Amino acid sequence: MPPESTETSVVDSTATSFRIQKERTQFLGLTWDECIQWFFGGNALVAVIILGLITFFLFREGSSFFGQNRDNITIYRLAGLEYVDLGRQQEKDHAALSRYLADVRLRTHQYYTVQVGLPAKEASARLKEFDLYAERFARASASIREQLSELSELATDIKARHLENQNLAEKRRQLLAAGKKDEAAAVEILPIDFPVEVAVITSTLPAYAEASASFSKSLEELVAAPPALPDPELSARLGRFQELTRAFIASFPETLASMQSWDATVPVPLSQSFSAFIFGRQWLTASFWQDWYGAMPLIAGSMLVSLIALVLAVPLGVGAAIYVNQLASPVEQRVIKPAIEFISAIPSVVLGFFGIAVLGEFLRIASGWSFLSWVPGFPFAERLNALTAGCLLGLIAVPTIFTLAEDAINNVPRAFKEASYALGASRLQTIIRIIVPASLSGIVSAILLGLGRVIGETMVVLLCAGNRIAIPDFTAGLGVVTQPVHTMTGIIAQEMGEVEPGGIHYRALFVVGLLLFFIALILNYFAQKIVRKYKVSIG
Amino acid sequence: MENTSPAAAAPTRSLAMPLRATPKDDAEPVPTLIDVRNLDFYYGAKQALFDINIEIPDRRVTAFIGPSGCGKSTLLRCLNRMNDLIDGTAVKRGAIKIRDIDIYGPSVDPIELRKRVGMVFQKSNPFPKSIYENIIYGLRIQGVKSKTKLDEVVEKSLRGAALWDEVKDRLHESGLGLSGGQQQRLCIARTIAVEPEVILMDEPCSALDPIATAKVEELIHELKKQFTIIIVTHSMQQAARCSDRTAFFYMGKLIEFDATHNIFMNPKNPQTEAYVSGRFG
Repeated sequence: MPPESTETSVVDSTATSFRIQKERTQFLGLTWDECIQWFFGGNALVAVIILGLITFFLFREGSSFFGQNRDNITIYRLAGLEYVDLGRQQEKDHAALSRYLADVRLRTHQYYTVQVGLPAKEASARLKEFDLYAERFARASASIREQLSELSELATDIKARHLENQNLAEKRRQLLAAGKKDEAAAVEILPIDFPVEVAVITSTLPAYAEASASFSKSLEELVAAPPALPDPELSARLGRFQELTRAFIASFPETLASMQSWDATVPVPLSQSFSAFIFGRQWLTASFWQDWYGAMPLIAGSMLVSLIALVLAVPLGVGAAIYVNQLASPVEQRVIKPAIEFISAIPSVVLGFFGIAVLGEFLRIASGWSFLSWVPGFPFAERLNALTAGCLLGLIAVPTIFTLAEDAINNVPRAFKEASYALGASRLQTIIRIIVPASLSGIVSAILLGLGRVIGETMVVLLCAGNRIAIPDFTAGLGVVTQPVHTMTGIIAQEMGEVEPGGIHYRALFVVGLLLFFIALILNYFAQKIVRKYKVSIG
Repeated sequence: MENTSPAAAAPTRSLAMPLRATPKDDAEPVPTLIDVRNLDFYYGAKQALFDINIEIPDRRVTAFIGPSGCGKSTLLRCLNRMNDLIDGTAVKRGAIKIRDIDIYGPSVDPIELRKRVGMVFQKSNPFPKSIYENIIYGLRIQGVKSKTKLDEVVEKSLRGAALWDEVKDRLHESGLGLSGGQQQRLCIARTIAVEPEVILMDEPCSALDPIATAKVEELIHELKKQFTIIIVTHSMQQAARCSDRTAFFYMGKLIEFDATHNIFMNPKNPQTEAYVSGRFG
């Protein structure tokens, strides 16, 4: 606070030669200086309040998600859907094995047509035995499939009635709130006795065990007598298929045991609601069977795209910063710096448009060039994928990384550079051994802030990442970058407009937003911490 | 800039009795190492040095004195071509020869030159690395890898810079953790580690307290047995105490160059006399 304003009354009229006292203008009891202070302080306060409000709002909207998700998982269990899914997993695994067989067939067909040079018709004829085998394999699961579909209907029916009851209860509550007691009483809710209803489903276990036993027996027979294939490489694949099928058969008793011990009445802990969100591998909404809100595919997508972006942006941004600060002539500096900084002025929707129309198409065509076939993942058919989005995000991160890294390099005292030259170092040695190490923490924080910029970017990924909600297949090695992904930012932008406010889906999107908020917070925190440390060590 | 009052810095010496500037030095002729002829130097369009002619003797301490902006630091930085790093600088006329080689000649590599002509700066500037890494920096960039050789050089250089006993137990701690005087001696050690012939010192003591200054000055006496030293200083006491020859510069011109005791006791030029007696500057 400035010192108290001096009162005019204390001015001594006799002290004319040494006038240091002055009457100050007052406004609402404040001096001019204090008014200015309040104005600036107020501005700062508004910023802090807005940040607080955003945080509070995100937490308030997001926090009740976990309770709702717990209810969501609870009804999944109570209605017996979980039980049915144990069996359905078997069915899915079997289907995957059938697909493996189909893949082997395709390869064999190719072998016949390309390497042996037979016409397609002749090749198909030679595969007749194989086709019969594959058909028998696919049909083996018919008995359990039938049972499972009946069980599914039962479970879905229980769930549907439960949801109907919930709607009715809501209606009654509204009527009561409106004071219409008679009408509220007229709303009839048929209570569901879950244990009894589910017992109908679980009582089929002996029959299911029987079907499962015959299923495993027919599989064993099939595994023991595989069809002959013309090429050792193809036979090896079939061997792998036999191995997988044996492992699949070996898992049957375990599945039956878990179905045996399954209990609908075990309560769902709240922690499961958390872990189902963070580690859940499925983001499945508006499904007739069961909705899942697992953020893993989105987190993995965001991470993959950001990683691609950084791999491109770090060398470009840091390299350009070193060049501009240390090597460029003044003329080059005047051109390059504004040019790079201008990239950040391009609206990201325009970049996304460019990505769809030009870059994605170009990359797809380039991936087909034969001299690039050594690149993992090439060729690919999806025009919109993590690579396209990552390239554009990298472009977006370059100005951030460039500007901050250039600042960091600029802050290296000139004395270090001179000392290095005076000891007989060349320009390159000075840069590599002195300038970069001395500014390393600044460069690292520039990269972290660039990462924050990339993770938060929405428009480009929404337009260019392909928006397939699935964890990318990391077993493809580096080729994973050519797969379409969905991101945390993209899903919010895409789905927020369509969800019912207050519903579980709406809240799930808020929690994704919270997650983004925390990631940005952590990145910024570390970036600032590193910068502070760096200033101490140089200073 | 006179932060080194004679009484505090070296109580046993005085301006009236410069320790090194004995007539004996003048009696025997000393071979010239650096020969500057008719040098005109420009910062862009502004001329900073006018027709400088000076012969700097081998293995002696030569001091450059003069008021701020007189060109003494500029001349110093011409001697190892550090001015090349500043855009727009140019030697427009004349030549600087070290051992009869024109250092501005077309076949001269300034990087090689700077290995032979080392420099210590006004503000101590150890790298943000360990003491050990600071010393061996010059060798590292020359590609020396042998650990025994490096260890040897570190000890020799630190002993040469009278710093070994103070830091031998913390060679791998940051050089920035040393006191100001120690840092400056570390910079000197770093310079002598590459075994130059000439060491240029640009006001090496201007940021040091009197005791640290006295240590560096003692070190200069030791170093001149091996190296040719040129020191730019604002402190006339320092020039008198530790140099054999003194050059007085004013307005970009060399006014007088002579044995140090002549400059201080018996200057020929009235401007020199005015400056050394403290009437201006």
